[in-house]
Formats: sequence, C-alpha cells, structure tokens
Amino acid sequence: IMELNDRNLQTLTEYLQKTLSPDPAVRRPAEKFLESVEGNQNYPILLLTVLEKSQDEVIRVCAAVTFKNYIKRNWRVVEDELNKISDPDRTAIKANIVNLMLSSPEQIQKQLSDAISIIGREDFPQKWPDLLSEMVTRFQSGDFHVINGILRTAHSLFKRYRHEFKSNELWSEIKLVLDTFAQPLTELFKATIDLCQTHATDINALKVLFSSLALISKLFYSLNFQDLPEFFEDNMETWMTNFHNLLTLDNKLLQTDDEEEAGLLELLKSQICDNAALYAQKYDEEFQPYLPRFVTAIWNLLVTTGQEVKYDLLVSNAIQFLASVCERPHYKHLFEDQNVLTSICEKVIVPNMEFRSADEEAFEDNSEEYIIRDLEGSDIDTRRRAACDLVRGLCKFFEGPVTGIFSGYVNSMLTEYAKNPGVNWKHKDAAIYLVTSLASKAQTQKHGITQANELVNLSEFFVNHILVDLKSPNVNEFPVLKADAIKYVMTFRSQLPKEQLLEAVPLLVAHLQAESIVQHTYAAHALERLFTMRGANNATLITPTEMAPFTEQLLNNLFKSLAIPGSSENEYIMKAIMRSFSLLQEAIVPYIPTLIGQLTHKLLLVSKNPSKPHFNHYLFESLCLSIRITCKASPDTVDSFEEALFPVFTEILQNDVQEFVPYVFQVMSLLLEIHTSSIPSSYMALFPHLLQPALWERTGNIPPLVRLLQAYLEKGATTIASTAADKIPGLLGVFQKLIASKANDHQGFYLLNSIVEHMSPDSITQYRKQIFILLFQRLQSSKTTKFVKSFLVFINLYCVKYGAIALQEIFDGIQPKMFGMVVEKIIIPEVQKVSGQVEKKICAVGITKILTEYTLQALIGLFELPEDDSIPDDEHFIDIEDTPGYQTAFSQLAFAGKKEHDPIGDAVGNPKILLAQSLHKLSTACPGRVPSMLSTSLPAEALQFLQGYLQAATVQLV
Amino acid sequence: MPTENLSDKRMSKFKNKGKEPMKMRDRRIAECVELRKAHKVESIMKKRNISSVGDEPLSPADNTDNKQVISETIQEIVANVNGDCPEKQRQGCQAARKLLSRERNPPLKEIIEAGLLTRFVEFLGRNDDPTLQFEAAWSLTNVASGTSWHTQQVVEHGAVPAFIALLASPMLNISEQAVWALGNIAGDGPSYRDGLIDCGVIPALLARLTPDAPVGYLRNLTWTLSNLCRNKNPFPRFSAVQQMLPSIIQLLHHSDKSILSDACWAVSYLTDGPNERIDVVIKTGILPRLVELLGFEELTVVTPALRSIGNIVSGSDLQTQAAIDAGVLSALPQLMRHPKSSVQKEAAWAVSNIAAGPCQQIQQLITCGLLAPLVDLLRNGDFKTQREAVWAVTNYTSGGTVDQVVHLVKCGALEAILNLLQAKDTKTVLVILDAINNIFLAAEKLGEVDKLCLLVEEVGGLDRIEFLQNHENNAVYRAAQALIEKYFSEDGDDQCLTTEATDSNFVFGASDLQKRFDF
Repeated sequence: IMELNDRNLQTLTEYLQKTLSPDPAVRRPAEKFLESVEGNQNYPILLLTVLEKSQDEVIRVCAAVTFKNYIKRNWRVVEDELNKISDPDRTAIKANIVNLMLSSPEQIQKQLSDAISIIGREDFPQKWPDLLSEMVTRFQSGDFHVINGILRTAHSLFKRYRHEFKSNELWSEIKLVLDTFAQPLTELFKATIDLCQTHATDINALKVLFSSLALISKLFYSLNFQDLPEFFEDNMETWMTNFHNLLTLDNKLLQTDDEEEAGLLELLKSQICDNAALYAQKYDEEFQPYLPRFVTAIWNLLVTTGQEVKYDLLVSNAIQFLASVCERPHYKHLFEDQNVLTSICEKVIVPNMEFRSADEEAFEDNSEEYIIRDLEGSDIDTRRRAACDLVRGLCKFFEGPVTGIFSGYVNSMLTEYAKNPGVNWKHKDAAIYLVTSLASKAQTQKHGITQANELVNLSEFFVNHILVDLKSPNVNEFPVLKADAIKYVMTFRSQLPKEQLLEAVPLLVAHLQAESIVQHTYAAHALERLFTMRGANNATLITPTEMAPFTEQLLNNLFKSLAIPGSSENEYIMKAIMRSFSLLQEAIVPYIPTLIGQLTHKLLLVSKNPSKPHFNHYLFESLCLSIRITCKASPDTVDSFEEALFPVFTEILQNDVQEFVPYVFQVMSLLLEIHTSSIPSSYMALFPHLLQPALWERTGNIPPLVRLLQAYLEKGATTIASTAADKIPGLLGVFQKLIASKANDHQGFYLLNSIVEHMSPDSITQYRKQIFILLFQRLQSSKTTKFVKSFLVFINLYCVKYGAIALQEIFDGIQPKMFGMVVEKIIIPEVQKVSGQVEKKICAVGITKILTEYTLQALIGLFELPEDDSIPDDEHFIDIEDTPGYQTAFSQLAFAGKKEHDPIGDAVGNPKILLAQSLHKLSTACPGRVPSMLSTSLPAEALQFLQGYLQAATVQLV
Repeated sequence: MPTENLSDKRMSKFKNKGKEPMKMRDRRIAECVELRKAHKVESIMKKRNISSVGDEPLSPADNTDNKQVISETIQEIVANVNGDCPEKQRQGCQAARKLLSRERNPPLKEIIEAGLLTRFVEFLGRNDDPTLQFEAAWSLTNVASGTSWHTQQVVEHGAVPAFIALLASPMLNISEQAVWALGNIAGDGPSYRDGLIDCGVIPALLARLTPDAPVGYLRNLTWTLSNLCRNKNPFPRFSAVQQMLPSIIQLLHHSDKSILSDACWAVSYLTDGPNERIDVVIKTGILPRLVELLGFEELTVVTPALRSIGNIVSGSDLQTQAAIDAGVLSALPQLMRHPKSSVQKEAAWAVSNIAAGPCQQIQQLITCGLLAPLVDLLRNGDFKTQREAVWAVTNYTSGGTVDQVVHLVKCGALEAILNLLQAKDTKTVLVILDAINNIFLAAEKLGEVDKLCLLVEEVGGLDRIEFLQNHENNAVYRAAQALIEKYFSEDGDDQCLTTEATDSNFVFGASDLQKRFDF
C-alpha cells in the first residue's frame, strides 16, 4: 500500500516530471519506476490526486495520460490471472472519475473520458450501475462544458453499438441505456436547439452548443444502429423535424474562414446525412414519411455548398445519401421527373466533377498523391468519386434519360472549350470525366473498363476529342487535358478497336517526353497496359512486328523519362520498361549493351537507399529479361552480364542491403543456370558464405537461396565434392534447419532432392543415416500433409536412384521393420495426395521399384487419379501489381523463373509401361504366383486398369 | 475464416450446418430482447379487451380521465355490487363493465383495488341471473386482458373453474364470454395456460365446437384454442396438443377468414418448436392445406400460414422434404414478390432454411425458379428481407454443389450480395463475406479463381472488401483480410526440431534420443 501522503505525492510528481524528459537516460528509468510501483494499492488514487491538486498544468496532463494508460493496461480482469487493481481502488476510481473529468479542463477531460470508456467497456452496466444515472443528472446542470464532457464519454461508451454483433447481452445493455438515456437525451436535444435560437448572435455560446449538437447526433447514430428502438420510433417526429431544420440552417457566425478544415456546422450536417442514410437503409418503412423532405433538403444543401475543401466530407456524404436512395425501387419516384433529373445532373453532379484549384495544385506539385488517387481509386471520400457513384446509381433506373441529359452537357462544355481553349480547358476536362463516369459500368485494374454504357459512343469520342490532344504538336501544353486523353485510352482500352490503339501507341511514346510527371507517368502506364492486352490465340494483342517501327523511340523515351526530375524512381516507367522488354523479345537484343549499363547504373544508385519497392522489383525483372532474352540467342554472353553485374552485386551483398539480397540470389541463379560447362570459380568463392546461418534467418532469403544452392549442385556437384567436401555438413545443416520448419520444410526437400540427384553416392554415404533419422524425427513430431507429400517424393527419388533394396536397408537399419511400417502407414494411404506432374512421376517410378502385393493398388490409384493439368499463366502477362513491400517475405522475380526439372527424365518415358514391364519380370522369375496374388488382392476395377497397362506394354504375366 | 463464422450462434441454429445436432434450427426464441415496438401485423394479440358496443350510450364517467369522477363511480359500483339487491348488483356490474370497456386507460387497477373481483367471480355462478353472469364475465374478461398482474388477480380470485363451468352455459353469449376470458388467461403465458389445461378446459371448449355454432362464437373459440397452443418454455404438453389438433385442422378448412387466421396462428405456435412438435403437425396431413392457404389474398391468413411453413422447413431434412412435396416451392415465388415487405421477409426466411438443406433440396429451389425472385429480393427488398435473403445465399453456397453455386452466381446473386457489403449491419456483412468465401471455394475446385476475382472486382466488390479491412469489428476485418490475402494478393515460423548453428554453419546431425518411431 502506498500511503496517500505529501511525501508520496511529491515523489510521484518528480517521476512524472522525469517521464517528460527528452533525454532517454532520464525518461526511461522514470517510466520503469512508475511501472514497477503501479501494482501497489493506492497508486491510481495518488495519480488522480496529483491530477487534481497539482499546480503545474503540464504535470496534471501528464498524470492524466499516465492514468489512462495505466487503466488501459490493467483494468481488464483476465481469468486465472492476478487482479492487477485492488477492489478498493476500483471502487474509489469509479466513485470519483466522472466528477473529476467534468471539473477538468478539456485536455484532461479527454484523457479521463477515454479512461471512463475503457472502464465502462469492462464494468458497464453490471459493475457500474449508477454510471448512466450519474451522467444523466448532469444534463440538467446547464453547464455545456460539463454536458459536452458527458456526451463525449457517452459517445465513446456507445459507439461500439455500431459494429458489434447482435446478442441478447448487447441488446439488454442497449435497452438499459435507452431506458435511462433516451428521454433525457431528447430533452437535451430540444433544449440545446432552443438555446441556439436564444444565443443566435453569441458566437462563443454557439460554438459550444453546436459541438453538443454534433455529439448528440453521433449518439443518435449509435443508439439507432442495431435496430429502431421503440423510443425513437415514438419520437421520430421530434428528432427528424429538428434534424431537418438543422440541415437547412445557416448561420453566418458559424461559417469559418479556414478553407481546409471542416467547421462545426459542416460536421453536424455531415452526421445528420449519415443518420438519415441509416434510417433510409434500415428503417425505410417508418422513415418513409420523412424521406422526401430529407432528399430535398440534402439536395438543396448540395446546390448551395461551395467548392472549398472543408465541405468535401459533407458533400460526399450528402451525395452518397442521394446515391443510396435513388437506386431503391420504392424511392425511385422521387427522381423520376425529367426536371428533377436534369437539376440533379446540372446542379449536383456536374459541379462536383469540376477540376478544382486544389486538384490543379496536386497535379502540379504533389503528382505522386494525385496519381494514386486518380489511378488506383483511393478516392473513396472525394467529391468526384461520390458524383460518379451517384451517376451509377441514377443509371440503374434512368440510364437513358441521364445519358441524354449528360450528352447535352458534354456537348455544351466542349463547345465552351472550343471557343477559347486557353481559358476554358477545364470544361473539356469535366466533359471527359463525365463521359468516363457515364460509360463505365464495370472496371478492373487488369482490363480497364470491361462493360460500357451502350448509349455512349466511345470510339467516336476518341476520334473527335481525344486524338486531337494526343496529336497536339506541343506535348507540354494543357498537361491536364493530355493526361485526360492518355487516361481515356488506358481506361477504355478493351472497348476501343485495335486500329485506334495502334494509332495511339506512337503518340503515347511521344508523351513519355512530357515535362508533367502525371502526363509521362500516365503515358508509361498506358503503354504498359496496352502491352498486356491479349489478342487471338492468347498472344499479345500488339505484336513485336507491329511495334518494330517504334521500338527504338519507345526504349529511348522510356529511359529518357527516368531522367526527368521527379521521375528518377518512377515505378510506372520501370514497369513499362519491363513490359516492353518482355513484349519485344529478340528485338531488344541490339539495344541491350547500352541499356544494361543504364540499368546497372540505376541499380547502383537505388541500392544506396532502397525506397521504392515496386520500382526496384521491376528493375530486377528488367535485368532478368535482358539476360534471358540475350542469352537465349547466344549463351556465351552470360560472361559479359556477369562482368557488368557482379561489381554491383558484390557491393549489395557486402553492405547487406536486405531488400535486394533475395533479388541478387535469383539473378545469380539465372546466370549460373545458363552456364553449360562447369561452375566458374567466382561462384565457388561465394559458396561458403551462402551457408551462413545469418542469411537463412531472413525468411525472404530462403526460397532464392535454396534455388541458388540447387543451381550450384546442378552445375557443380563434382566441384563441391572435390574442392569443398568440408562444406557438405554445412549444406546438410541448411537442409536440417529448413525441414525443422513447417513453413520451409518443402524448401529443405528441394535442397535434399538436388543433393541426392547430383552428388555422387560416395560423397554423401556417411551422412545418409542421419538424414533419414532427421526426417523420421520430424515425421514423428509433426506430420503435416505438406511434409508427407515432400517426404514421399524424396524417398521415391532416392529409390529411383539407389534402388528399393537400398531404401529398405537404410530404413530397417534405423529401426527393425521400419520399411514395412512406412509403406503401410505413409506410402499407401498418402501417396494419392502427391501433386504435380513430375512429383507424381517420381512416385510412380519409385513405387514400381518397391512394388509389393499391397502397394500395387495404391499405384494404380496414382495413375488413374485426375491429373492436375492447369497450365501456368503465360509469364509475360504476370501482373506484379500487388507485390508486397520488403517487410513481407519474398518477392519472386517472374522473369528469373526456373523451368520445371524432371530428375528422371527420359530414362522412364511412361511409368505405366514400366510397371507392366517390372511385373512381367517378376512373374517370369516365379511363374504362377503373380497373377493369383493380383487377382486375390486387387479389386476388379484396378485389375482392369492393370490389364490395360500390360496390353500397352505388350507383355503377359505368367 | 469460414469455420469461425460457422461457429456463430445463428449458423448453428440452421439445420445441418451446426455442430450440435440438437440445436440445428433457426429459432426465434433466442432473440428475446427486443428494441423495437411489438409488431403489429406480425402476430395476433395475446389478450383482447372487449370495447363498448358503439350504440350504447356512455355515461360521462365512462370516458373521463378525471380521477375524482372515476373514484366516485367506483364507490357507487362497490356499494351496488356488495348490496343484496339483484337489480343494483346488475347495475353495478354493468357500470363496472362500461368503465372497463373504455379504449383508453380502463381503470383496471382501481377496480381490483376496490375489491370487486371476489364478487364478480361469485356472480359467475349465478345461473339464476344470466344478465348478472354476463356482465360479471365481461368485466372479468377485460380485467384479465390487462398486464400479467391484472390477469393474476382474476385467476387468484378463483375465476378459472367458474369460467370453465360457464362454457357449458345454455346462453350462447355467456359461454362466449367465458371462452374469451379463458383466452385472455391462456394468453398470459405457459403457466396459466397449463393451469387451464389441468382444469380440463380443452374438452369443455371442444364440446362447444359444433357445426351449428355461429361464426362469431367460433372465432372466439379458435382464438382461445390458439392461445392454448401458444408460448414455449415449456411448450403445451403433447397430450393437450393431440387433443386440440383434430379440431384445429378442422377449423383450417373453415371458410371464415378470421377463423382461418387464428387456426393458422395455432399451427404456427405448434410448429415453432423442436422437430418432434413439427412431426405431430405434419402427421395430421395438413401440409397441402397450409400450402393452399399461402395462396390466399388476406394478409391475416397468409402471414401465419407462411410462418407455419417457415417453421416446418426449419425442421429436419425429411420435414422440409414433406413441405416441398406438398408444393411449397411453387407457392413461395409469388410470396417473395408479395407487395408487403413483411411477407417477403418471411418467405426469404423460409427459403434460407430450405437452402440450408442437402443439395437435392437446393436443386429443387433451382428447378422451381426461386433463384430469380431471391436475387430480386437481394437487390430490391427492404433491409430485413435482404438480410434473410443473404442468409439464404450463404446457406446455399455452403451446402450446394459446385454447379449449383455457379448457377447462383450466374443468376446475379454475387453482384447483389457484394452491393450489400455496404449494409449497416455487422452480422449481415460477415455473413456475406462467408458466402463470398464459399463461392471462391467453388471457384477453386473449378480452377476459375482468377475469373471470379475479376468478376468481384468489376462489380466494385474488391473495393468494398478492401474497405472492410478497416472495419471496427474484428471478425469482419479478419474475414475481409483473409479473402484479400487468399485471393487478391499475388503470393501467399514454426520450428518443429532444433538446429544448432555456429557463425558460419548450421550443425548437421540428429540428436541421439533413441526414441522409437511409430507413424
């Protein structure tokens, strides 16, 4: 127990003071100390006393924050754990905190209010029965500082009603709240509105009153969210009439000068729109009489609200309200009238689609954000987005009339523009935006617009209005319109005929040179998207031949645009480079010697400070493509790539640039695999370093490192055995580490399979038994399906290489009768789970070798299971859109891709024939036994299949 | 993710989907806490007051809220009723009845506190004075129509045996009054209901159920029977149900709409229970008639008939099949398109329970053309209806075959539920995410995941699912996140054994623990 005395108060104050110190050497010990004493009884009371009595404002706030955090950490009582706050303290806190909160200045009030809601979440209502009535009594105080404190606390207590699932417990609580709270809240609402009239000219009073109204409206939303309470149904007239009045209210005094920050009036009206939307969606039967009024009021609100940013939330909420109402069949009639539609289009939609000065600023000065918002759709709350949603909502019932009205607008805006483009260019921007929103019925990142409004002639609009801007000789004039035109091509690429796309390609190439970042970024993005379109036969829509006349210009401009200020790490451009390489294939070979230098240089620069994950990813992809495409024609050039890249790679590895290491391993694997003769010494020098545990601790390194080690084994197993035999235990250590993990065990098997396949038997004999013991231990301790599948592939591969007898001997050498157990408990029941063509083949061949009477049936099952014959997506089209950032594990390079490897290869063409031949051999060795054994142990169906294999192999059992 | 959702309470209440076989149906009982006003159309009144007949002149006291006036009137009544003069007794009783028949605030409590009930009950036995019997019965009926406390007063004054005796009265209006009073008492709850049954109310009532009974009388009788079937915890016992059922079935064939309505309500109460209770009803062979009643014009008949059918299809698969065989699936489409949203909602609820059945029953939903109206409800129904329709989709997609799921998607259900992800109801959102997950599982089996991803994105579903990753509700945001991670991101530590390591190498070698391997 800590006594409540001056000395303790003094000590506490001192430590609180120290927790504010900027010097960690002072701050940390003080924080530690406070945490060490917080378990003592009376600690929270001391804190509250400091908070209440201290003369120092800073200390008071600090005590409040410390108190709130203490409550957050300790209040919840976890079953079977120590109760961290003594019961007397709990009682004392609950008895005093409401009062204390209400008598504190706002900054402290907020902290205590949070603390109350944390306590309330645990104790309310059962263990804090008088909380609500205590709060409600304060409504009568007439002191709005107190009232707002209560309302804020109530809001944080009740807001969970907005997202929790219905349950009897929750609803009982809400019922209790409604019983005590709803009536006083309603009275307060009315009284506050009356006071607003009384104090209509007193700005300070109005501010407080309106923040009360905003909080009351929020409480209304929470209390009405789960279902329509009887009380609010009975009092709907009061609430809705007042809400409606508030929506239409304007008070000059409450208008703020700030252009950005929403004022009290806006926040209140915004919440009222939400409340109305809630009722319209969930309680439409009861709300029906009020709805038309709200539609009118909200619409008037939209018509009279200005373009300033501070109104954005209000406007987008208001438009969303209309959008959700207009597509409900029973409200349809409210919008049916041609005049209404025209007026909504004219006064609500068109003005909110206009390019505002804020947009213009972003276009010029904050292009990155502009692009993300405009291109990737992170514009959920913007006016333009809301306006588009409203267009789409209206089109549900009124597509014809709406299209008609907008066509008229589009034409008149284009006419305006034509009169004086220099002044009226924004009209054309709005016209294009309108056409786009009207025409888009369905859209994806991969394909752009996939379904368009048939009433809009997109191709004609392209010819008449888009092409002009694309063709404009001065690429730097009207950048916004240029960007619009480029975006149009990109958006409607699936809807425009191929000739028009081909016409656009060289124009887009030219726009890569534009100074405006948005403009050349859009050009790069548009080209990249066009290059991924599919034409006939699943090939690219635009062929390398069609690109031939522009190839040089395209590559030149792409690389030049990377030099434009602000675009040096532009991921859209880099992605376009990757896609161009992939599309053009051999056509890029002549340019590679120059381009590889530029790419390497870029790599060197970004490796100093990797900050753009996507850019870097596409950079590595582009490198892989350069290597693959060039070496496909002439494998010898691999040396020159190594020469160009190894210095940078060395630097990356030496500086341990974590983001890039996995990429480097992948590119090295690709390079090593191209070598036809033995492994170069430069690689061997690196080999020991690849086995360092530190590298393997990063999960992102594991797949590319395994891949690289596999390449080492494939190309240099003999070299390893002869010059680095002492590293073999380390290599196996990696295997051991990997199979210990459920996440990485398959990687361990990849490595092990390569070892078994490529290392000579004598170089691994001494480790064999240990390897199997490890596998068995893992099998025993945690047998997952994935592990078992990999295990089966491995033992069958081993069997293929060393024979069934060797396999049986090693099993039984570890434990008598082990082989039979594995066959019975693992192979027979699990082998049908093995997936993948090559894996199945390995198992088939392996099992054929270890064939006994009881494995035969499982083998036929393996043959006759439906095969997984899905064909992988053509690499060129692989979209790396959502490649995760570096923090997540591993970014696989699509173009460093490894071809599937079949370790058995042509040695066995058809495993079914092998089975038939092996059986035949067996039967000739002991005539008469095999057929009778088969007919007694196999079901008829399996026998029939087997008969088919025997016939195909033209052999007969004897 | 799906398992988490499946463990949800309501899910376990759907037949077949839940883990506990005993709790496999969608019960309404679980939702005892209500925030809403009691539903007006949805159910009939538990208790009914008898208002004054219009042409009777009312004294000023009968219609005033003035405490003074009322109190004086009551004093007068007490004096009259406690006296010995039959004329005065009749007058007093009549005055009390008039007071108690006011539409607004009848002074039930005041009458009770004036100690009048003892006398009224006594008057019920006055076979010599039918008028007095009648007035007393009427007064007591109205007192019993009040709150539970009011009803309790009537019962505790011994009115039950007296009323049961009165059922046999040769005066039809007195017998009818007794029927009504007993209905009010039965409607109070299971304990008085069972008390009445113990006193032999059922045979006494059924004895009056004759072909020549006037329609008005039969209406009251049916209503009282329905109240005897009503309420659970506990349900009325089987023997009582067996006694009443033949008569209720008989009444279901009557031509009077009000009788039909109450008889249907009785059936709906009897089917709102465990499967054994539903079985008793099905065995009477009433299903075809119930289905026929679904086609009636009158909302008062359709509502309870639909409720009964809804209850039955929430039973076992066999019981659902019995309803299907009786033709319920051809009746449902028009109910799903009914102008009243409450009917649409009940119909969607029934469909959601049929969709929770085996895939053969789901196939019948398809064959009978229920998917089009279902999708229509998802798009255009009111919110409560949409919510039921969403459950139907989720049940359908979790029990349906791959082909059936594909068919549902082709009918437009996916787009419709994706739109509803904006619903302001957390549970609905979660249930939709579950359905989306089911649809993806089907797509996986077909190798069509990419196609489905595009479809979801095209109709704006991806944006909404992504948005839900910020949802305040943990279950919702986890479900949304799981979908995004599994299907919409390009890619997809736990050591089981230990491995020693030095700076340069991992140490290879198995630990020497000689443990037997046994797989």
